[in-house]
Amino acid sequence: MSRGEILKAVEQSLAHLQGIFADEAEVVIADARYGFISGLLKDVIKKPPIERVALSDKIDRVVVDRWLGIPLFLGVMYGVFQFVFTLSVPFMDWIDAAFGWLGERVSGIGGWGGSLLADGVIGGVGSVLIFVPPIFLLFIAIAVLEDCGYMARAAFVMDRVMHKIGLHGRSFIPMILGFGCNIPGIMACRTIENPKDRLTTILVNPFMSCGARLPIFVLLAGYFFADHAGLAVFSMYIIGIVVAMIMALIFRKTLFRGASGHFVMELPPYRRPTVRGVLTHMWERGRLFLRKAGTIIFAVVVVIWLLDYTGALEPIGRAFAPIFAPCGFGQWEAAVSLVFGFLAKEVVVGAMGTLFAAEEGVLGSAIATQLGWTPLVAFAFMVFCLLYVPCIAAVATIKSETNSWKWPIFSVAYTTAIAWIAAALIFQVGGLFVG
Amino acid sequence: MDRKGLHELRPGEKGTIVKIGGVGGVHRRLLDMGLVSGSEVEVERVAPLGDPIEVRIKGYHLSLRKEEASDIQVEMQ
Repeated sequence: MSRGEILKAVEQSLAHLQGIFADEAEVVIADARYGFISGLLKDVIKKPPIERVALSDKIDRVVVDRWLGIPLFLGVMYGVFQFVFTLSVPFMDWIDAAFGWLGERVSGIGGWGGSLLADGVIGGVGSVLIFVPPIFLLFIAIAVLEDCGYMARAAFVMDRVMHKIGLHGRSFIPMILGFGCNIPGIMACRTIENPKDRLTTILVNPFMSCGARLPIFVLLAGYFFADHAGLAVFSMYIIGIVVAMIMALIFRKTLFRGASGHFVMELPPYRRPTVRGVLTHMWERGRLFLRKAGTIIFAVVVVIWLLDYTGALEPIGRAFAPIFAPCGFGQWEAAVSLVFGFLAKEVVVGAMGTLFAAEEGVLGSAIATQLGWTPLVAFAFMVFCLLYVPCIAAVATIKSETNSWKWPIFSVAYTTAIAWIAAALIFQVGGLFVG
Repeated sequence: MDRKGLHELRPGEKGTIVKIGGVGGVHRRLLDMGLVSGSEVEVERVAPLGDPIEVRIKGYHLSLRKEEASDIQVEMQ
């Protein structure tokens, strides 16, 4: 039978069924299925598992309470960030110390080989591996929230807000994941059924400030906003969220007009998460970051080292620098680090470190004295780093998730345009007040 | 008997489903999740921001937006 004949036969059967049951085939099938299920349940179930359900109900009375629901949600998010950033500090210190020790050993070799190993490979890989603790801890926290059943409640509490800005309750988890790394964030958009909701969520996900941007903020805020460093870093997260909301709204009014997907979703009973389940989740997402670290970032670091070693870095920077002049950071060193930051944002700090041949501890003052940056310039630079081009691995993920080159190219273009406009606005308008 | 859209029920109110409306994906999804005529449904609570709502059906908890609930006709008990 040909395709046309099959479809014709299907239509005839549907009409036939509709004539008999006076209802759509879909409804008839659902009725029959649930009729059969409830009959079967009556036969086989003796004592329904009431206890756990009752406990779950009690928990829900508090967790999604009219007044407590939102403060509790904010509290959980705050708790997750505290957990991640406090617990990762000692691990990060160990990794830092281990790579420092290794670098010292290797630099004794001397020559270009020693330099490549010490400054390129060990320095570069170390600067990436240092993010493994916070990213993996964030994935653990998210896995716990998912497996215990809280994530469904979070979507329930937040759907109204997400719906208002044109997203979906389910967009919420990918956005939170984006704070760890945009790659799993973009991949998590697979759970969003409606294509318009999904594309919008993918396109605004890179504005969620990922772990790779944090060292840029920590470095610059630590030096230029010493007493208010925490506030300056926090403001980056807020700016990212606000830009994501505005862009989501714009996309849903222009590119992706039309109804958003439904929110018919089970709220499962609360369960105790298993160690195995949590670790599996963590690994499935975290290995994407490790793979990126092992391939792209490694290659980039070696290329930068090579360009630097042969003196080719400066001309590249000088070619790009004028573009950034209206934003306040039109120096070739800044341009170099931004251009390579496209490959991976953690490289921005690493590139500056290589250029000024400065350890992280004194890098801030090196930037201030050698580039003549003011706090205003530093802030504009931070905003640019926050908003411009998701890293190349995230762009590649957008390509594979949307199965087209259109969206990754669009993403690169529009985020860079927004970043440039925002940074230029901050520098130009801010200059009127700060002088 | 009093007929209403499911979205009009207040927390604690119960009804029996008499008709499932909606189009395409939503319609199918509602059926898949066990919202079929004859089933008893109870509104448990409304989300803190007023939407969506949580209902109990076939012994489990389901959340849906008021917009989707308005596609479901129930007979009040």
